[in-house]
Amino acid sequence: MSVQDVRVEVTPLQTEGMRDVLGDVVQRQLFADHGIDVGKVRSIRGYLIRSTYSASEIEPHVQDIFSDPIIEFGATNTSLLEDQNFFPIPPSLTVTVGFKPGVTDNPGAAANDGFKVLFPEGESTISTYISYAFLELPDGTDHTWLASTLFNGLIEKSILTTKEQLETNQATHLTFPERPTIVRQAPAIINLEVADEELVRLSNEGLLALNLNEMQTIRDHYRDEATRTARTNAGISPDAPTDVELECLAQTWSEHCKHKIFASKIHHVDTETNEDTTIDSLFKTHIMKPTHDMAKEVDWLLSVFHDNSGVIAWNDDWSICMKAETHNSPSALDPYGGAMTGIVGVNRDILGTGLGARPIANTDVFCFGPPDWTGELPSTLFHPSRVLRGVHAGVRVGGNESGIPTINGSIVFDERYIGKPLVYCGTVGLMPRRLADGRESHEKNPTPGDLVYMVGGRVGSDGIHGATFSSLELTDESPSSAVQIGDPITQKKMMDMLLEARDACLITCTTDNGAGGLSSSIGEMAEYTNGCEIDLGKVPLKQQGLSSWEILVSESQERMTVAVSPKDKDAFEALANLHEVEATQVATFTDTGYFHVKHGEETVAYLPITFLHDGVPQLELESEWIPPQHELFIAPTGLDQSKLLMEMLARPNIASKETWVRQYDHEVIAQTVVKPFVGVERDGPGDAGLIAPIHGDSQGLVISCGIAPRYSDIDAGAMVAASIDEAVRNAVCVGVDIDKMAGLDNFCWPDPIESEKTPDGKFKLAQLVRANRELERVCRAYRLPCVSGKDSMKNDYGVWPNKISIPPTMLFSLFGNQPDVRKTATSNFKHHGERIYLVGTTYDELGASEVAFHLRERGEVSGIGGQVPLLENPEGQLEVYRKLSTAIQSGLIRTAHDCSEGGLAIALAEMCIGGRCGAFIDIDGIGPGDAFSRLWSESLGRIVVSVEAEHEVAFVEMMEGADLHLIGMVSASSELLIEDGYDTLIQADVEQLTESWKGALDMTGAIE
Amino acid sequence: MSQDVKVCVLFGFGINCDRETAAVFEMVGGISERIHVNRLVQGERSLSEFDILAVPGGFSFGDHLGSGRLLGNRLRFALREQLQQFVTDGKPIIGICNGFQALVKTGLLPGPADASLEPDLVQRASLTLNNTGRYEDRWVTLEFDSESPCIWTKGIQRIECPVRHGEGRYVMPTEQDLDNLQSSHLLAVRYVDPTTPVGEGIQDELLPFPMSPNGSMRNIAGICDSTGLVFGLMPHPEAFYSMWLHPEHTSMDLDDDWEGEGLQIFRNAVEYVRSQR
Repeated sequence: MSVQDVRVEVTPLQTEGMRDVLGDVVQRQLFADHGIDVGKVRSIRGYLIRSTYSASEIEPHVQDIFSDPIIEFGATNTSLLEDQNFFPIPPSLTVTVGFKPGVTDNPGAAANDGFKVLFPEGESTISTYISYAFLELPDGTDHTWLASTLFNGLIEKSILTTKEQLETNQATHLTFPERPTIVRQAPAIINLEVADEELVRLSNEGLLALNLNEMQTIRDHYRDEATRTARTNAGISPDAPTDVELECLAQTWSEHCKHKIFASKIHHVDTETNEDTTIDSLFKTHIMKPTHDMAKEVDWLLSVFHDNSGVIAWNDDWSICMKAETHNSPSALDPYGGAMTGIVGVNRDILGTGLGARPIANTDVFCFGPPDWTGELPSTLFHPSRVLRGVHAGVRVGGNESGIPTINGSIVFDERYIGKPLVYCGTVGLMPRRLADGRESHEKNPTPGDLVYMVGGRVGSDGIHGATFSSLELTDESPSSAVQIGDPITQKKMMDMLLEARDACLITCTTDNGAGGLSSSIGEMAEYTNGCEIDLGKVPLKQQGLSSWEILVSESQERMTVAVSPKDKDAFEALANLHEVEATQVATFTDTGYFHVKHGEETVAYLPITFLHDGVPQLELESEWIPPQHELFIAPTGLDQSKLLMEMLARPNIASKETWVRQYDHEVIAQTVVKPFVGVERDGPGDAGLIAPIHGDSQGLVISCGIAPRYSDIDAGAMVAASIDEAVRNAVCVGVDIDKMAGLDNFCWPDPIESEKTPDGKFKLAQLVRANRELERVCRAYRLPCVSGKDSMKNDYGVWPNKISIPPTMLFSLFGNQPDVRKTATSNFKHHGERIYLVGTTYDELGASEVAFHLRERGEVSGIGGQVPLLENPEGQLEVYRKLSTAIQSGLIRTAHDCSEGGLAIALAEMCIGGRCGAFIDIDGIGPGDAFSRLWSESLGRIVVSVEAEHEVAFVEMMEGADLHLIGMVSASSELLIEDGYDTLIQADVEQLTESWKGALDMTGAIE
Repeated sequence: MSQDVKVCVLFGFGINCDRETAAVFEMVGGISERIHVNRLVQGERSLSEFDILAVPGGFSFGDHLGSGRLLGNRLRFALREQLQQFVTDGKPIIGICNGFQALVKTGLLPGPADASLEPDLVQRASLTLNNTGRYEDRWVTLEFDSESPCIWTKGIQRIECPVRHGEGRYVMPTEQDLDNLQSSHLLAVRYVDPTTPVGEGIQDELLPFPMSPNGSMRNIAGICDSTGLVFGLMPHPEAFYSMWLHPEHTSMDLDDDWEGEGLQIFRNAVEYVRSQR
């Protein structure tokens, strides 16, 4: 039997009641994003089957596998586009999109799985493509542009077929994507005894992202006599590294893996205060130490910093962990694949925590350029709307297909994210405190001799150099091999299998394969036993011919590394077989002190564990704070505040993201108590996610987040304080247990190392110093330990002076206990007659506020400068939050909403929208500023609540000592009326407010 | 005779509502076990051990090639005899969301026209992409055909629960196909306008989005076979086992009764099994 390619094409039937929805979606999205109506679009799905079966054997089973007998037509070896039954008139243009060789093709893999059920003989592979036929494209439409909206040249190829080509039988077809044959290269010996310039060149050209000092440190290691003797004995080049070793060190020592900037020694100068000081590691000083101090006072911090996520004891039976990651560079190159890889990657961090936790909730926070951007765009960047659609789709597919609800998140817009979008993906995990054999599941406990398995996907050339690449700035030449597409189903199967293995007590240690691939995962785990021996020859490959270093560092997705005691070998492999998951023993733990890598019998790397993990020299950096000068924001007089409210509600940063967020499954697992949307029409904003993860048990878990990059323009320290406070406020709004909250800090910064490329590096580093100091101050005051975090430090695009740097951004994620989900609150006003209170003081803090940015963009003002919101007394603030949370937990308060972007005016409008009811408000006396600032100021620590008249006295008593303002009442009308004493400031119809708020980011292109 | 009602909740290959589906059967007195499809295929376990089969929601095989198709194929080709025997034995089966899609593509739903016929595993209907083209998670209002032979929906008039799908539009080739099911009261559950009086919500004319979240023919949310034992629906009643899962529970005055409206469906099946002993 010879191998042959068979083509199957499938298209929706056009009979009564049938539709071509894929085609409709293309038409609508082009209209929504570009305002162009391309007319009717029809779709054809194609499958190229490479197997030993012929078309005549496959044809009778097309309806069993490829097409649905009720709604589709499918056939082998035909070109439906040229079939007059389906296309009586040749379409004006057809764009056919398929994958480039080696790119993950999930539909193809699924099709092959189905194919093998009926055609089990021999090897088979299936590649897929899709054709979009534009039946009557308006004249003058640019074909190349149109095609470019439908595919990404980095990972996909396309063919355009015109009407003329079809009429003259000159249509061409996509063929099976052939991978070029590659031949394995023997490991090279790299001579480091060269001039410094040559060392730098080696690093740059090899995409190693190591600086001169680091290259010299590696060189010096090989000069050491003891090293040379040991290497001679091991049978590897004694005095120079192999390429495998150099690549392995580059991955392990990358900024991405080692966080060298956070670990650096910083000389910090503050020109305002004349401070001149040295900070030995921002991470150890401002993040780790405060948490360790707090750990002495509570008994629920089980595992902090050292594992893939931070773990807390939630109750006697269960612990909870959480991790958030960013996937910015890959998402810039391929928004869909990059973001999907981000979410399924952080899921693996949870699966790789302790002996394995089960992901139970996702959070997604994105920062993009404005979706309606009409300004200049470098040719290598995608339009922000395309980035938004792609990232959203990737995260949607990754989360939904994995069965993990997305319960909380946010989307932030700023021009500077055009160069580099930020894609934060977080996951919460649940694990039993103890396994059946009594081991605590948050602790790994491998012993020398344990077998190390690679489980899940295979290794390919995709994802080589991801970790080092993300440690470099994005340029036109960024490599496509750094882009991967996730495969959620392979991962889901692996997750099912590993959780069963955990519960059967078969796992002694596990971690995920993310950045740095096997070199990082096995390398990190080898620290537990002080050594390992890997055989790269055993690693299952997607394609033959990969070199040793490529196998070791490839970041191909959907892989976990799992250690198993030799006695459990058979049980573990049987479980993998049952779940149809590939599990291959590739290494053994040892206690030799060496990270020993073989390829077959040949030793290709032999590195001391201590040098691998602790050998990287500390960076020494310069930081200087000179406060940025901004023109003051001065509120224009005579503004129509009602109109301003409508405009503000339509600001992308404030507008409803409902059409986007509804596409995430937020309720799978049947645990989501406070959903992303609340209120009578289920479209008011939810403040924090609240889940009851144990079925039937009302103990809850709160997940919230805070992000406030605007304030970085004035002070990155204020930005951090605002982010933490926002996360806490949101959590308080649903009744979090103030005494059991933990946090995650995720820093995304522009490159803060001063160089020719970054002449303002000292300032950016000073921003980082201030940010960390505020993180420590506020977290200590809030008794809020950071248990895990991550930083991404090269979020720039282009080359100075045309460099686009993101505003320094920190996402703060919070997870905390909630005693009883039956007593919680949502943001929508409930009933006419409820009293409305504002908790907290409104200061004149309009610096870098949303309203300032809005009025500047409108040309009404020229500055955004001024006082940013401060958190002067966080200790006092915590007591206010404690009182309010207690009031919610006791059932007195069922309506609470945090005041953030757009201040009090926006908070009140959103509460009216959620309740579809009006309110009468008087803001006289709530703070020292003028009426404008009391409406729009973004002072921290403020929450609006409403209380039933019968509970009002008890509530006020409970809040004694807090700054509490009675500001109005929920009304029976449909009008939001805001007055300041005798002056009417805002009078707005709630339906119109709803329309403004919901319409701005709808972007569905309308239904039908 | 034992009062135990054993429920097989399938999992594996991207099924992902298995835990909550198992949990709700336990809440109504069943004994659930999550069974990987391959344990049945490899013969380690058998469907005959169980009284009820649940095919939960999820994204089996990523829903590539059409939702539920590949899982349906595994059931149709690898579990054919066990499944046919299960149906012939008169044991209840429920498919929820992706499970419903799989049962439709397996051909168990709607199944042969006459209850006396053996299940032939021929596909007669389909579930296809929502008219919006979007996957969405939103709550809908459902009303049940009170004359349906469906044992799962007995006595239930109207409930709310979430839908979470991108391919929930129920279609059949001809109006006659739908008429036949409707006259036999096999269109067990439909999307309705929540403002209609309870008991008067069912209508054939298409409801607008989002009352019908997908544009299903005749607003069909779920159907049963002619025996009334095999039931499938796109919405997720298991995701409304408690009132705290209702989107507006903070506006309600709930004292001690926190049972969600979705639970009765599962209780009906467990009680049906007991009643047959």
